[in-house]
Amino acid sequence: MSWAWFHKLGSPKWFFSWSKPWALPLFCFGCLSLLIGLVWGLVFAPADYQQGNSFRIIYIHVPVAMLAQSCYLALGAAGFVFLVWQMKMAPVFIKAMAPIGAVMSLVALVSGAIWGKPTWGTWWVWDARLTSVLVLFFLYMGIIALQNSLEDQVLANKAAAVISVVGLINLPVIKYSVVLLETLHQGPTFTLTKKPEMPAEMWLPLLFAVIGLYCFVAGVVLWRMQSEILMSEHRSSWVKQEVTKHGF
Amino acid sequence: MQSSASLTISDLWIERGERDLCKGLSFSVQPGEVVRILGENGAGKSSLLKIIAGVLSPLEGKILYSGEDVTLDRTSLQQDAIYLGHSVGVKGLLTVAENLRWYCPDISISILYSVLTQLDLIDLVDVLVKKLSAGQARRVALARLWLTKKTLWLLDEPFASLDVGGVALLEERIQQHVLLGGLVILTTHQDLMSITPHDVVLLS
Amino acid sequence: MTYSSFFVSEFLVLWRRKQDVFNALLFFIIVVALFPIGINSSPDFLAPAAAGIVWCAAVLAILMAVESIFKEDYLDGSLEQLVVSGLSLPLLILLKVAAQWLVVVLPLLVIIPLLSEMLYLPSSGFWVLIMTLIVGTPSLFFIGVIGAALTVSIKQGAMLVMLLILPFYLPVIIFSTLAVKATQSGLPYSGLLAMLLAMSLLSLVISPFMTAIVVKASVN
Repeated sequence: MSWAWFHKLGSPKWFFSWSKPWALPLFCFGCLSLLIGLVWGLVFAPADYQQGNSFRIIYIHVPVAMLAQSCYLALGAAGFVFLVWQMKMAPVFIKAMAPIGAVMSLVALVSGAIWGKPTWGTWWVWDARLTSVLVLFFLYMGIIALQNSLEDQVLANKAAAVISVVGLINLPVIKYSVVLLETLHQGPTFTLTKKPEMPAEMWLPLLFAVIGLYCFVAGVVLWRMQSEILMSEHRSSWVKQEVTKHGF
Repeated sequence: MQSSASLTISDLWIERGERDLCKGLSFSVQPGEVVRILGENGAGKSSLLKIIAGVLSPLEGKILYSGEDVTLDRTSLQQDAIYLGHSVGVKGLLTVAENLRWYCPDISISILYSVLTQLDLIDLVDVLVKKLSAGQARRVALARLWLTKKTLWLLDEPFASLDVGGVALLEERIQQHVLLGGLVILTTHQDLMSITPHDVVLLS
Repeated sequence: MTYSSFFVSEFLVLWRRKQDVFNALLFFIIVVALFPIGINSSPDFLAPAAAGIVWCAAVLAILMAVESIFKEDYLDGSLEQLVVSGLSLPLLILLKVAAQWLVVVLPLLVIIPLLSEMLYLPSSGFWVLIMTLIVGTPSLFFIGVIGAALTVSIKQGAMLVMLLILPFYLPVIIFSTLAVKATQSGLPYSGLLAMLLAMSLLSLVISPFMTAIVVKASVN
């Protein structure tokens, strides 16, 4: 297998022209699949026999919670790639991805709270999952705050990469410790880990929503990266060509 | 001191904050040479010295020290070099003697005192550096040039905030070092009195 | 410059700044005092919460002390001199953290008996608390020093360091307080101590290298 594509990722120009045709289709497909999943899940799927209609929020909560974690995984991986191979696209990716991850974890927190009210009777429970998403949210906010306050671009890139990698190493430990905290305390009586078997008409829309959200986010990230590339490479001739050809 | 040391810069490309400072810069320094880097403000004189010292990395190009390629790992160059930047690196909370002992732990008391006498610092030997003036603090940093036996000197504006006597003293010391086969690269806006340097001009 | 001359000069500087160390200690005590005053001063509340209170205060005091570890060196140019010294930068950072740890944590340990008395900590939990502090605080320093390096070029960086680093401190707090609680209810705690030790060792291995990367990028 050739590694040329991997090394080409270091070149903003190559990445730009490679990713250009991907962003829009990914975005559109994502929107469509997300729409199908949500409408199917929120309107047509059967109600849960235990929780009634309130369970329907999983069609929002589960996809965003998955995204919130996957985004951080991707951030850590990008940080590692940058520290080892100095790949120029990695910090651009981190910069594009961090706010999305923050929004995802915030939505996961809010939807979790909304779900918690009818299920547990309170808006907030120090449940291991909720707590670790809260920590995740703080990790994202830390990266964003750090990038905003460092003026030197080279330093900001290194800093974001380092903190992402350190976060990725720490995330399993944080997760483990939070689970430990919960098991030693009095745990909630209803846990999400032991879900009853779902019928297909319940999990299929979930699958649509999850895949849709992943594609949607991928499309948005590619767009954000492309505009970031145009900004940072504005001096080079190919960017000038690109902008005059297609407009901004 | 290695008298055979030499420094070769080839095809160096310096970028700073998305601005190209210089591209394709090449020069070499032989034993006994003083190289003065000239250029306008912001032309990249300090960045060039920092790159040689290993604080920064060049975008492209090679740095050879005594024939060895040190572009990726500057350790062997650093062990034989002394770099003095804009902030001179003396700690305000240490006394003059403690600062020098930190940099040059193996130096004997008598040598230390004789150097400090030369530099007019002997009365301040036990005074905290934060109580000294800018010129005096710079003299403390420059005292390292008398105390160490490093070959390559990278001096960024070494004459700044020195008085006339200090400038003459430093020039004399640079002369001495070069006569023994040392290498000196410096940036300065002042005219040098007694030294005839090779000039490297950075164009912006 | 040699490793030993660097270590000695670090201690000298810390000795000249003993007021800062003393301030960190006072800060630690006053944060501890906030809990009985602000929440509840009855032994029923304080005895089970004591370890958590001590750890929260310790985390804050340590982070305040570590946050500025590179500030002065950055301003006077000695951080740059460390980078060009030809010595191993990660090792120099390790030495610097070790010196700071000794100077901050030892006084803190000395004051613990007094505080545990004030918080009605049962004697069974006292030694475990001391052990968690000895085993757990190195990881606080090693993680915190990364944050200090990241923000060294920012003028008002203290708040940012708090935001960046405190989430990473949660596991240390959790393991430590659980260990003390485990002894108070007669359960084994060695597994939790082992976790703390593992975290300290892991951060000892990773942090100097990460910090060195950031320090090199900061001094330019």
